[in-house]
Amino acid sequence: MNKKIIFQTGSALISILLTALITFGFLFILGRDPVVIFGRIFSEVFGTGYGFAQTLFKTTPLIISGCAIAICFHAKLFNIGGEGQINAGAFVMALTATSFPGLPFLIILPLSILTGFIVSAVFGFIPAVIKVKKGVSEVITTIMLNFISLAMVNYFLISHFAVESTIRTTKIPENFFFTKLSDFIPSFHGSPLNITLFIALLLALIIYFTIYKTSIGYKLRAIGFNPVASVYMSVNVNKYTIVAFVLAAGMMSFVGLNYIFGYKGFYEYGFSANIGFTAIAVSLLARNNPIGIIFSAFLFGFLDYGGLAVNELVPKEIMLIFQGLVVLSILGVNKLTDNYLKINLERN
Amino acid sequence: MENLLSIFSVVFLSQVFRMFTPYFFGAIGGAYSERGGVINIAIEGFLISSAFSFAVVNIFTGSIILSFIIAMLVNAVLSILFAIFTVKLKTDHIVTGVGFNLLIAGLADFLIAYFFKTSSNTPRFEEIPTIEVLSFLPFLSDPLIIVAFATVPLSAFVFFKTRFGLRLRSVGENPQAAESLGVKVRFYKIAGVVLCGIITSFGGIWLASYQNTYSQGMTAGRGYIALAAMIIGKWKPVNIFFVCLMFAFFEALEIKLQIIGSFIPSQFIQSLPYIVTILVLIGFIGKTRPPAADGVPY
Repeated sequence: MNKKIIFQTGSALISILLTALITFGFLFILGRDPVVIFGRIFSEVFGTGYGFAQTLFKTTPLIISGCAIAICFHAKLFNIGGEGQINAGAFVMALTATSFPGLPFLIILPLSILTGFIVSAVFGFIPAVIKVKKGVSEVITTIMLNFISLAMVNYFLISHFAVESTIRTTKIPENFFFTKLSDFIPSFHGSPLNITLFIALLLALIIYFTIYKTSIGYKLRAIGFNPVASVYMSVNVNKYTIVAFVLAAGMMSFVGLNYIFGYKGFYEYGFSANIGFTAIAVSLLARNNPIGIIFSAFLFGFLDYGGLAVNELVPKEIMLIFQGLVVLSILGVNKLTDNYLKINLERN
Repeated sequence: MENLLSIFSVVFLSQVFRMFTPYFFGAIGGAYSERGGVINIAIEGFLISSAFSFAVVNIFTGSIILSFIIAMLVNAVLSILFAIFTVKLKTDHIVTGVGFNLLIAGLADFLIAYFFKTSSNTPRFEEIPTIEVLSFLPFLSDPLIIVAFATVPLSAFVFFKTRFGLRLRSVGENPQAAESLGVKVRFYKIAGVVLCGIITSFGGIWLASYQNTYSQGMTAGRGYIALAAMIIGKWKPVNIFFVCLMFAFFEALEIKLQIIGSFIPSQFIQSLPYIVTILVLIGFIGKTRPPAADGVPY
């Protein structure tokens, strides 16, 4: 068992290395010095408290969305609708937080989380039900729902709820903001890094235990591993397909906490910056293990902030290339190590 | 009412055929891949790569023929890579497709920023002179639309009347049986994927040449809608043709409704193609059957 984890961690590291090498080569061909660029990223992130805090701030939503995607991946379900789920949930979360001016924070916060969760979950429930009832693959429906969800949010925002001539909602009261970590660690000053990071870490632990140590998690993995055998184990495949999707989609809304309560205080159209897609890469790199996701989310947070830091040397879009390359090298390297493990296990 | 009737004109019809082209090339390309048993959601990425390379080569060289060839080549190379992953390494088809889509979209965004120092679109290139092949039918004026029409019987013939098509289908239905009969399974799977990439490039080229630029997000999920059209069309060229026409009709309607203006919010009209896709999938899917080994690595 331990050997397996070592091998899997090893293959993740090899994929990262491979991706870095290809990116280096690519930059070199374009006439940019990769050593200077990556050196700058490292010194930005690890050299200053602010840079490190910014990286953790970017990591937070990726932990949340990565774990959400992982739930679906364990059940062999493809949730490519993260982007739409995040926006719908976060939008409603922000609306709820500003709609009841008289109520205290301790009521508003759970209420906002609940409404956000429900709305996001609806966008997971729809493709799950269509899959269960009609057999339509969730891949296409979740992608279509991304477009539909964003269009709906855009409509309600612009024609009803936006602050005039902006694409954002009104701001929550000042006393609703989450505590910033810079209050305790002065060198983080200026960064919006807040306690959502701890919520995300806690969620990762909860999801880890749910997936590997509870009967729900066991059944989710069973329908992913072998749906036919699951039926004979009297696991209701349809039910757990819906459960996985509703949980995963609902969880996506928590991404909004970091931005709304932790940073800006409002929902802004386009705030999610493709987190829903990056989450797929985050989860895959960690082989859908929530503890591993914490680390792979940090890698992507590092690249995300690092990309901004070197934008004058090379367009920050280089990080999008890095993301795609990571996914492909994980797939390739994992296949090779799995084959190696299989051969070795058979031999023993 | 008069407004509604004015929608259906020759102009509208030619708009339908314009919208039809990228859907059709994506969907028929997808059929080549899936008949061989490889699910290819990288079609979205293939549309982006061909549209982008056509636009960029056109801007730098001004040669339409060269841009056309390069766009096809780029897609051929990318689809060979896709085939190496899905066929040789036997990776999960859908995750591989997601990876390709991320990578290709990222590359396009990066290169726009790198070449043109802007973040959303390439400069415009010279308008491509329309070749009025059949000038008496205004909606058939574009050569690529004629190619699309020709692809229908041609693909039906390839799939169902040639040895290549029979073997391609056998590989998608039952690779073990095909291999036991001496069919080179991997060869046919790779061939299906590469044909898919090349055919899809026509769709991307068309998108770029119609707007004389490549802009970020211009494919707008058309690759995925094309896949839906392929599924609803039961992987059959003639059916795919009509399903794509239907999707094109709704997209043309969307554009028309936006222009004439109506009481319906524009955001809802814009999401019409996506809503229609889901609804049609729900309505038709029970009656379709994919190739038996579709998506199963072999």
